[in-house]
Amino acid sequence: MFKRKLLALECSEVDRFDINDEGRFRALVLWLEDQKIRHLKIEDREPLRNLASNEWNKAFQSYLTEINSPHDGSDRKALLDWLLGYAIRLEYGDQVDKYKSATPESFKERKEQQLSKSINPLDNLDFNSPEFKAGITSLAMMLQIPPHSNHLEMLKAICIVIKEKFTQEAIDSAGKTKEKDEHIPLDKTELGFEAGDYIITEAAKILRLLHLRDLRDLQTHINQAIVAVQAITANPKTDSRLGKVGF
Amino acid sequence: MRTYQEELKFIEKSSPNCWHIKKGFVDNMKVDGYFYANPSLEKLMFDELKQSCNSKGFGGFLPGMKQIANVAALPGIVGRSVGLPDVHSGYGFAIGNIAAFDVSDPKAVVSPGGVGFDINCGVRLLRTNLHLKDVSSVKEQLAQCLFDHIPVGVGSKGIIPMTAQNLEEALEMGMDWSLREGYAWAEDKEHCEEYGRMLQADPSKVSSRAKKRGLPQLGTLGAGNHYAEIQVVEEIYDQYAAKKMGIEFKDQVCVMIHSGSRGMGHQVATDALVAMEKAMKRDQIDVNDRQLACAHIQSEEGQDYLKAMASAANYAWVNRSSMTFLTRQAFAKMFKTTPDDLDMHVIYDVSHNIAKVEEHFIDNKQKTLLVHRKGSTRAFPPHHPLIPVDYQLIGQPVLIGGTMGTCSYVLTGTEQGMVETFGTTCHGAGRALSRAKSRRNLDYTDVLSALEQQGISIRIASPKLVMEEAPESYKNVTDVVDTCHAANISKKCIKLRPIAVIKG
Repeated sequence: MFKRKLLALECSEVDRFDINDEGRFRALVLWLEDQKIRHLKIEDREPLRNLASNEWNKAFQSYLTEINSPHDGSDRKALLDWLLGYAIRLEYGDQVDKYKSATPESFKERKEQQLSKSINPLDNLDFNSPEFKAGITSLAMMLQIPPHSNHLEMLKAICIVIKEKFTQEAIDSAGKTKEKDEHIPLDKTELGFEAGDYIITEAAKILRLLHLRDLRDLQTHINQAIVAVQAITANPKTDSRLGKVGF
Repeated sequence: MRTYQEELKFIEKSSPNCWHIKKGFVDNMKVDGYFYANPSLEKLMFDELKQSCNSKGFGGFLPGMKQIANVAALPGIVGRSVGLPDVHSGYGFAIGNIAAFDVSDPKAVVSPGGVGFDINCGVRLLRTNLHLKDVSSVKEQLAQCLFDHIPVGVGSKGIIPMTAQNLEEALEMGMDWSLREGYAWAEDKEHCEEYGRMLQADPSKVSSRAKKRGLPQLGTLGAGNHYAEIQVVEEIYDQYAAKKMGIEFKDQVCVMIHSGSRGMGHQVATDALVAMEKAMKRDQIDVNDRQLACAHIQSEEGQDYLKAMASAANYAWVNRSSMTFLTRQAFAKMFKTTPDDLDMHVIYDVSHNIAKVEEHFIDNKQKTLLVHRKGSTRAFPPHHPLIPVDYQLIGQPVLIGGTMGTCSYVLTGTEQGMVETFGTTCHGAGRALSRAKSRRNLDYTDVLSALEQQGISIRIASPKLVMEEAPESYKNVTDVVDTCHAANISKKCIKLRPIAVIKG
């Protein structure tokens, strides 16, 4: 009950609201007055704001008279239904233009869109099914990515490789810088500390290079931010009349 | 007074390129002294000592070795007092001397003499994608064009309009000010020691006198050993490292700018020396040489100096950035294109005269030190967190400006330097003759015609002082650089030779 109206008012409590819960009822009344109805001046809402007070019901009654409610507090369901309807009416009155464009057709269309979203196959995937795991393994083999015991980690690695090597952007930039592409000789790169073991040393070097690449990206972003600010602040001037050559 | 022979007992060769000055050479030495030299450079060092012994200490500067030892006697010094191959006598500290003080030691000191008067004097190298043959036909015009853009000489005034408010901001923000105003590129900051800004700068600690001197001079080169040079790559020793710096081929054209904080830094140092002399009496700090005025790092005078020094350092970066801007304009005008298309990026920007708080290992323990580098260049090894990402694999580029008409070098920092010299190497040739002596011994017309014979275009504000900066007045820069390379405190990467010089 009340769900549709609460939804229409974009109330975040929709799922939790229970008319038999006195606290939630009071809170909802206050929320409606604060956000939607706004009949009282802010300072006059004080008695309603005092949710735990024994005086609350009295304040509520006088509020109902103020807004000319046809219901008193005896039938809460009827009262709340009216109150919500009143709020919706006011809300609509505030933004007639926005809601006027809502036609049955546009509503249907929106509904269809929502439907097609939920039939997105990715949402219904079972990430732990054997087929899914097998798919990841074969993708990894195609992309020559070494295996990892956690298939979700593997999936992350695959995403990174595809993003960096096979997106349109990556392919374009790879084509551009081809002549300048320089390989860093791993055996000539100094690690900077002793790792003790040849394989660990190699791995540490690779990690180091990857870290450097991340740092480079960060620095490039910093530079872009500076350039963006310069577009607003920069205004270099020179005045050769000021110049004076010393002796 | 000991005789020369007696003095020699305290000095011992510790490795083929390094000499050890033992405790007792002067009073109160807390650590040992070391200096780097090859046979021809060490002769200069020992001659200096001999002369001073013969004259019984009268007349002239203290010899470099004595100065290194006096610094080793300062309170709170740690590790060693180091002299680099280009070391020569200076005010208090020798120029080319490094000393580090433990920040956590309440007795440790900061000394303006250990930074020098030209605070954050330094060198910046710009690359271009031009070849020697692109510029040789227009060399004279290009030199003139640079000369027109960058005012030089004592008392020169810059062509970038500055107000007092601008200056305050520049002192606080360093290169960030240049960026904000559009005089610098975003990438310039990335390739600059300290990212072109010392955060502890506080312009309110800079006297109004210093600001008054600094205001009109921003964007000017100054006089003395400062210069702007158009250079070409003569030799590449390390292909990979050079490539990382954007140096791709022989005869590639570069521009080197050597300048500092002008009158502003000088005034900051002078002001601090006065304040510290009083503080020394109050705090009872004893030093071997009156010129080694200093204050406890944590004292008000010490902190005030460090904040003012940082402001002056920021001024120097803004100054070099402004001249970079003017250089780019001059080249763009000359070649009717944009600085972008000429690929005029900053390779690096190093500081020669500065004190910085850094982390180092002393006896395998990590310590926070205040490292004074006077006439020496920071040279951090590969993978050091404070060097730009582009140079992480090759080590920090170190720019060594030669003297007028001689070659310049780009070196890279090494792990060995981190261990032996607090990650520091030489800064240039280093004076061999005093300015007065050079003026007496040399004739300026000879100096100028020698440059002409080498095919170097020269634009100079005060030709009659050019003898002071003649190659003959300096140690041989190649000797200096080779010694650093042999001692492995830095590695040779690129050699450059000048084709045009702009000088004060």
